[in-house]
Amino acid sequence: MQKLYIFLLVFCQMCFLKIADVGADFSLEEEVTAMKSQMSVMQGKIDVLERKVYSQEDKIIEQQTQKHAYERRIQELESQSTQQPQAPVAPSMPSRVPGTKWIPDIGAVADVVLTVDHAKTDDEGGNRISLRELELVLGSNVDPYSRLDATVSFSDSEEPSLEEAYLTRFGLPLETTARIGKFLPKVGKVLGVHRDSLDTVDEPLVITKFFGAEGMSKSGFDLTKMVNIPWPITHQLTFGVLEGGNGEDGTAFGTARKRPTLYAHLKNYFDMSDRTGLEVGFSPMFGSKDEGANLDVRVLGVDATLVHHLSANQDLKFQAEAFNLDRKKTIDDEGNSLGGNFWGTYGLVDFRFHPQWATGFRYDYVEPVDNPADNPKSMDMGYTGYLAFHQSEFARWRLQYTHTDLSTGKGDDTVYLQGTFAIGEHKHKLQ
Amino acid sequence: MKSIMIKRLPYLFFLGVLFLFSMSPERVMAAEKPLEIVATQALFADLVKQVGQDKVDVRAIASPKFNIHFIQPRPSDVRDVTQADLYVNAGLDLEAWSDPLLEAVGRPQLFRRGERNLDLSSGIRLLKVPDHPVTRAEGDIHLFGNPHFQMNPENARIMVRVISEKLKEIDPVNASYYEENAKVFLGRLDRKIAEWKSLCAHCVGKEIISYHDDIVYFADFLGLKADQELEPKPGIPPTPKHFQFLEDYVKEHQVKAIVLPTYFSRSTAEKLAKRIGAKVATICQNVGEAPGTDDFFSFFDYNFKQISEALQ
Repeated sequence: MQKLYIFLLVFCQMCFLKIADVGADFSLEEEVTAMKSQMSVMQGKIDVLERKVYSQEDKIIEQQTQKHAYERRIQELESQSTQQPQAPVAPSMPSRVPGTKWIPDIGAVADVVLTVDHAKTDDEGGNRISLRELELVLGSNVDPYSRLDATVSFSDSEEPSLEEAYLTRFGLPLETTARIGKFLPKVGKVLGVHRDSLDTVDEPLVITKFFGAEGMSKSGFDLTKMVNIPWPITHQLTFGVLEGGNGEDGTAFGTARKRPTLYAHLKNYFDMSDRTGLEVGFSPMFGSKDEGANLDVRVLGVDATLVHHLSANQDLKFQAEAFNLDRKKTIDDEGNSLGGNFWGTYGLVDFRFHPQWATGFRYDYVEPVDNPADNPKSMDMGYTGYLAFHQSEFARWRLQYTHTDLSTGKGDDTVYLQGTFAIGEHKHKLQ
Repeated sequence: MKSIMIKRLPYLFFLGVLFLFSMSPERVMAAEKPLEIVATQALFADLVKQVGQDKVDVRAIASPKFNIHFIQPRPSDVRDVTQADLYVNAGLDLEAWSDPLLEAVGRPQLFRRGERNLDLSSGIRLLKVPDHPVTRAEGDIHLFGNPHFQMNPENARIMVRVISEKLKEIDPVNASYYEENAKVFLGRLDRKIAEWKSLCAHCVGKEIISYHDDIVYFADFLGLKADQELEPKPGIPPTPKHFQFLEDYVKEHQVKAIVLPTYFSRSTAEKLAKRIGAKVATICQNVGEAPGTDDFFSFFDYNFKQISEALQ
């Protein structure tokens, strides 16, 4: 009996302990839950406090900014009070000197050339010094949409002439820009620029023989636009219509001005690297040989220019152009062949090896268009070397030697010393 | 057959030209598309990026490795500006190539004073404004005052505000975003200016010689004296005569440093420095010009460290 009593007592104790354990478990869970909720509340409070801190920081920054502004204002007022002259504040766009704002940009470029020429074709040679050209350049905006540019050329050996006078109309539909008037066509690399932008004293032979002594500046109109072709290459297309004819002593087209010349130029440019760029252009031209003809002369031009910037002060440029001229072939009364298919090309290397110095070489090849049958050669070839010194941004000296082998079988050696000087406003158009 | 084809060549040519003209550059303003922004200089591009962050795609035309006066814009620059929503530039007459570039682009709204042309000289206090009729006899002098105003970090306050206002104007949907970014930048700028002033406190009142007259705003910020340049006149390369003048000049003036950006000849500066016992320091003119100058703050960190060490 006693044993049974002890057993029951132990059994009851164990049951009680078990129940107590379960109760303890329930109590702990409640405690954890309560703590979690407390933590959640505290986290919320921390978030609020953090937001307050950020807000305070913003206010501090703002007040610091204001403080600096006030400090600057105080300094300004102090400097005013001591009667010291204040540095002017730039207007949104600086105006020119009052009273001159309607005067257009005016510039002048003088080109003085000393020529020592012992031409075997000319007993007198060609030794002379001359003001080859003084270009007076004018330009200004006409209105918000257009600009007028004009270049008048003076020389000590020729009558004054109008080289260019054209209106540029910006912002036309299809992102197009138009020019109308008398201008240099955007064909290749040399035909579209003035002499002061050339790397050499004279134009390449193919330009002078095909198009004229200074290229061809003609009246007409053209349209230019960037072409959106999804390649990593930049394309610019120009299309133009010019009056007929050539430049001075050019032979590509006839002289009938009423027979227009159509031209186009597709410029393709590729950035090979930050320092190197390659441009390749194609230029078809269609003109007329004489009044009775209609677009029977075709000129196809290709140009390529590679520019590499060796450093901030050293540039290397390779440039070449080739033209194929196709004219209807005829034989004159003396049996000379006129017209036919002709090639002309040049290649140029220009090395700017110092901020002030540059040197270069040019090779020329051209087949004369109206070449008499008794000429022993069918082409003129030229070799040119030069050294240029840039006295400043606006003054340049150039020494050049050119040897030419003519189709007549004779040769020509010429040395030039050229000085080119610019005053006033004269910004070159982008090429 | 061949002759017929040849005769029709001009007309085929016309058709080709018409086809190509019909292909217009895409320039679509869409809310989700970042603004296309072209800046003339890398520092301006970085300031625009600091304000616009991921809402802008910005690139600079001029490589910081080259002298900003003599940049030759490329056809790819013409293309990029043609398609840009905003053109950011220094105004004045620093970037002489900018106007021919914009004429080649042919969009009137990008021209000077156009609604998409942002002239960062607006509101800047200019130094060395000519007080007399200028001529080229004074060198390549600037008509409206010294245009290298980006060299004073204080001027970034004005530039960033101008940028922020313009971005808000052309992209009002993200106005608060630009405002907030500008505020963050200006807050950081305040702290950095205090840091830079402290770093260069010992430079105040000291004299330096620069290669070109491009350091005047930098000197103004630090309280330096910078009255002489290696160039006898702006844009005119150093001459032996002027070199001699500077040698005589430093006998009466305590010149501790000759400063120049990376694109000028260091040998001339070193030659003079050796004779007068000064140090040569590279002071960059633009972000990215030297290693470790990748953004506005690291650019000025670099410059102030250079001048601080040179004038120790």
